[in-house]
Amino acid sequence: MNSSPTRILGAAALALLLMAGCATRPPADDPEALQEFRENNDPFEPANRVMFEVNEAIDKAVLQPIAEAYRDVLPKPVRSGIRNVLGNLRAPTILTGDLLQGNVTRARETLGRFIVNSTIGIGGIVDVGRRYDVHGHSEDMGQTLAVWGVGEGFFMFVPLLGPTTARDLVGFATDIYTNPQSLIGQGQILDVWNYTRLGMTVVDTREALLEPFDMVRKTSLDPYATLRSAYRQRRIFEIENREGPGGAVAPAGGVGFGQGVMEPQ
Amino acid sequence: MLPFLLSRRSLLGGLAGLAIQPAQAQQVDIARATAFVNKAGQDLVNAINEPRLNTAQRRDKVAGILRTAIDIEGTGRFILGRYVRQASPAELQEYLKLFDEIIIRNLSARFGEYRGVKFSLGRSQQRTEEDALVSTQVERPNTPPFTLDWRVAEINGQPRVVDVIAEGTSLRLTTRSEYSAVIQRNGGRVAALLDAMRGQITQLAAREGG
Repeated sequence: MNSSPTRILGAAALALLLMAGCATRPPADDPEALQEFRENNDPFEPANRVMFEVNEAIDKAVLQPIAEAYRDVLPKPVRSGIRNVLGNLRAPTILTGDLLQGNVTRARETLGRFIVNSTIGIGGIVDVGRRYDVHGHSEDMGQTLAVWGVGEGFFMFVPLLGPTTARDLVGFATDIYTNPQSLIGQGQILDVWNYTRLGMTVVDTREALLEPFDMVRKTSLDPYATLRSAYRQRRIFEIENREGPGGAVAPAGGVGFGQGVMEPQ
Repeated sequence: MLPFLLSRRSLLGGLAGLAIQPAQAQQVDIARATAFVNKAGQDLVNAINEPRLNTAQRRDKVAGILRTAIDIEGTGRFILGRYVRQASPAELQEYLKLFDEIIIRNLSARFGEYRGVKFSLGRSQQRTEEDALVSTQVERPNTPPFTLDWRVAEINGQPRVVDVIAEGTSLRLTTRSEYSAVIQRNGGRVAALLDAMRGQITQLAAREGG
């Protein structure tokens, strides 16, 4: 009998989800409550809250300590270099998004940055583009779908990925599937490379979130509701391309925890 | 023609305002709003960077500036939203008192950490009839600059901050979701929110050591 910890965890999570069920729709004679229910668009809220707690447990036990150690051990220039490399690797996805949204100016910026950062910037370690005031930006298939007029769909909380919506999760899956690296083929070296990149992305992203997460846990009376609201607002900001020059290319892309990533501290 | 339209519009607007919310904000002048944010921002930066103050003094100074700059009551009512009508007068009064304390403590603690902070005005724009959005860039040593937008409304003839928006995330919208979730998950009782707020103040006070 196979009883690996992941399997037990998975079964437990599934059981909790089934028990949690769906959110109750407010009665029709309360229009304000009904409007709020629609705006939250979170029909699986009880299940999502369970997933949020699962994520909190994993985070406090594993991810946060790793991210703190990562920040303590590696000096800032090294962490900056890692974030730059990971961000540079997302250039094909970002360029695709720029083009699919018909934004030629941003597409040229992305392409120019990719060429310059990959060569002069030594494989993306140095963000040369930023020094010439060509700042990076993020794009992903979820944003492209939004620009095309696709509604965000219901809200979801996915452990490790964070807050997201049906549309953004579809976009995220599309981005992974259409990543040029998955066209190169298969093989052990590629596998190792992909897992390394994934692991580094998770650690880098969590490190970027140390202060914001701390703040939410300390000051919010309902961190789940805060994250849900903040995710939606931040997402609109990104879809409308309103980011300021302080942002960095978020290595995690369009998932909830990948948003609003800045240069390392 | 134009003065007539204007006066009629303001008359209608005034009537609508009276009917819906007596204390509705008046139209704000963008230059006035920008000057107001600039002054409040400079005062904050000076207080945060004042080397002669200790942590507690700095926090008090920052809190004092925030109290005069922010429309705390209006913001508190906006955040409580539809529950303003469900709350009893005593509950509403207590809510506003607790909200004042939480917002000031949270913001002073947050801004108090920004040693060496600099800020500059960005582009300003008028957004709606009632308020203006004033954009600023906040810079701290060793961290990238970020955009902080201030929503300014005219309250009783004075410009006041009604929201701060950090990189697209509005404090009052996020807090409204948060408070509403607390009430809903406790059987729709405003009293449950008040309990949670009291608990938070105790925690914040314990963390500040006073």
